[in-house]
Amino acid sequence: MRVSTAANQRKPVSGWSKKERHYVYLGLAFASPWIIGFLAFTVYPFFGSLYLSLTEYDLFSPPQWVGLQNYEQILADDRFYKSLGNTFFMAFISVPITLAVSLLIAVMLNFKVKGINYYRTIFYLPSVIPIVASALLWTWILNPDFGLVNMALRTLGLTDPAWLLDPRYTKPSLILMSLWGSGAGALIFLAALQGVPRQYYEAAQVDGANWWYRFWKITVPALSPIILFQLIMGLIGAFQIFTESYILAGGKVDGSGSLGGPEQSLLFYAVNLYQEAFVFLKMGYASALAWILFIIVLLITFILLKTSGRWVYYGGE
Amino acid sequence: MKKKSWIWSLILLFSIVTGCSGGNAPQAGSDAGEEPSDNPPAQDAVTLDFWYGWTGPEAEALEALIAKWNSANPDIQVKGLSQSDYQKQLTAITGGNPPDIASQFGQNVVPWGLRGAMMPLDDYIAKDGVDLKDFVPAALSTSQHEGKTYAIPTAMHVSMLFYNKDILQEAGYDGPPETISDLKKYIKKLSVAQDDGRLQRLGLWPGMDAYTFSYAFNGSFYDEATQQVTPDHPGIQSAIKLSKEIWDQYGSDNLDRFSSGLGQYMSAQNPFFSGKYAMTIDGEWLPTFIKQYSPDLNYGIAPIPYDESNPELKNSGNVTTSVFYIPKGVKNPDASWKFIKWMTEPEQMAEFTAALGNLPTRNSAFSNPLYEDVPGFREFLDYSGSENLKSFPASSYANEYMTEFSAQYDAILRGTVSMEEGLDKVKAKIQPLVKW
Repeated sequence: MRVSTAANQRKPVSGWSKKERHYVYLGLAFASPWIIGFLAFTVYPFFGSLYLSLTEYDLFSPPQWVGLQNYEQILADDRFYKSLGNTFFMAFISVPITLAVSLLIAVMLNFKVKGINYYRTIFYLPSVIPIVASALLWTWILNPDFGLVNMALRTLGLTDPAWLLDPRYTKPSLILMSLWGSGAGALIFLAALQGVPRQYYEAAQVDGANWWYRFWKITVPALSPIILFQLIMGLIGAFQIFTESYILAGGKVDGSGSLGGPEQSLLFYAVNLYQEAFVFLKMGYASALAWILFIIVLLITFILLKTSGRWVYYGGE
Repeated sequence: MKKKSWIWSLILLFSIVTGCSGGNAPQAGSDAGEEPSDNPPAQDAVTLDFWYGWTGPEAEALEALIAKWNSANPDIQVKGLSQSDYQKQLTAITGGNPPDIASQFGQNVVPWGLRGAMMPLDDYIAKDGVDLKDFVPAALSTSQHEGKTYAIPTAMHVSMLFYNKDILQEAGYDGPPETISDLKKYIKKLSVAQDDGRLQRLGLWPGMDAYTFSYAFNGSFYDEATQQVTPDHPGIQSAIKLSKEIWDQYGSDNLDRFSSGLGQYMSAQNPFFSGKYAMTIDGEWLPTFIKQYSPDLNYGIAPIPYDESNPELKNSGNVTTSVFYIPKGVKNPDASWKFIKWMTEPEQMAEFTAALGNLPTRNSAFSNPLYEDVPGFREFLDYSGSENLKSFPASSYANEYMTEFSAQYDAILRGTVSMEEGLDKVKAKIQPLVKW
């Protein structure tokens, strides 16, 4: 550091005056709480976990270097594939559905009707409920015998599944739950909707475009940067899904019994990682799992951003 | 002027940094003095932190014992902390600032002990002449591995068969099933299903404790001689077949639907209390719950039915424990040990376990009159003396083993994997972990 700034000093091109340098230092000093925090709590753990992923580490004795053994074991582990499959299901089925529904809600909440502010509040309300409370609430709504959902289904003469107990229905149950909380996403869409210039719709209307056309040709393209943002955030969230499974699929205090629910249908990636790390005390293995997850999320985000040029329009283009 | 602002920002920065870490400034001894006790604590008293997992009334029972200790031992003051988040123990031990004494579940003792998180207690046990023979062998073995003792079991749990006398009488049975073939007949007769297969009542939930029945069939999860894990042991297979046979009579769909409609375990709607189960396999705490939630229930407690071809294995059971241990890195292990030793003496053990409605681990505590008031304990204390009680083999990988076994057990019952295939999977996954 010191050497390079000293070198810069001699070069007039990039050289800072004494005063400028002083301000840079001052700025750095003011930013230092964040810089130190970032180095200590983000950068250090980040590379620390990379190192640990190449070791066998049980928390109590010092880590032992094992090279790529953890990664080899993960690739041969049934539970890894099971948890990855469950997580992909949530990422690629639940996230798009939730996005579509929140967009729909946003469009409806953008209508000019009386009392719209109340509707907006009501739709947003579920998002402020803590996830643990809402998960417990949903165990009752989805109760096969007394739950509201099955009561409705029975009245309609449809089958009434054993939602949270039948392995085929556990993940759809979670999707249902996440739909209930889609008001938060809707709020972001709503804000964006109100930024779409009115004259586009007016011009389209003059040209005779119907509601459907206006939605697909104006609203969706205008919102596409927001859709991309929500999609990426949603995917990242889906890859980290943990609480719902832990609450609904019985995380016992003593860590006994298996997490993940009937037939491990709710064994998500983060749940598996938690179990390996804190129940089985395999920190090295869990770090390797975390790195694989990081690479998967990185890849998916990269692909999304690369392909987004084809469907995302930024204003002014 | 500008130099000054540079210095100010540094001061600010340091005050933030030190302010963050200042929370743990040592306050040795000062808290102990506020606790009410007959004997005022000595000036140079050692203060021990004791983290336990019990909460509510159970924690109160423990605190009463701690207060007793504190007034008798002014030089060693114990400060209890109800800390049901066991993760905290992990972080405290690895962070080098552990509690002086802590409670744990028996199944974690050997995994933690072998990794060096718990102090071996053998030297203390030998020095103070603690009679390990007084302990129930299956309970003690949960905290021992290859001759080392990592914790002292203070309470144990074992399951027996509970039956609803009224429902059994209605069906024409005078007493509980004694053998496993009796059990199957009872279950069939006591279960009530609608024409469409929907269950109204179950004789016994078929996804029952596979460990208990494995031991009834003389099953074993580990073969010492060959150092092989044996989830495919014939006895375990018999236990799984028994569950599977009952499971398949009703099918996953009906069972899932039935079980999802059942009430909370700790409530009057507990399926056994409300007559949805005619029988259940459960632990020694259940009579206390029955007294609390459903005092009118007419029930009986019976031994686990035995296998006719293994009559010598009558009164079998699966023991789990709660233990006290000394974490690695404590400052005063001698003082910690004194407290643990006192807590696990028959008298204190009886006082604590009787208050909890848990079983004691020492034979000499069984006869303590305190248990006379605990519902169901006549049967359970008798049963605790049975020679056929076993516990899951303690090992560094016991948690992985049990998790994998119960996952495959679930899959086998639901028919997504055959029994042979499922148990092979357990073996393939766990055998490589056998190294200690």
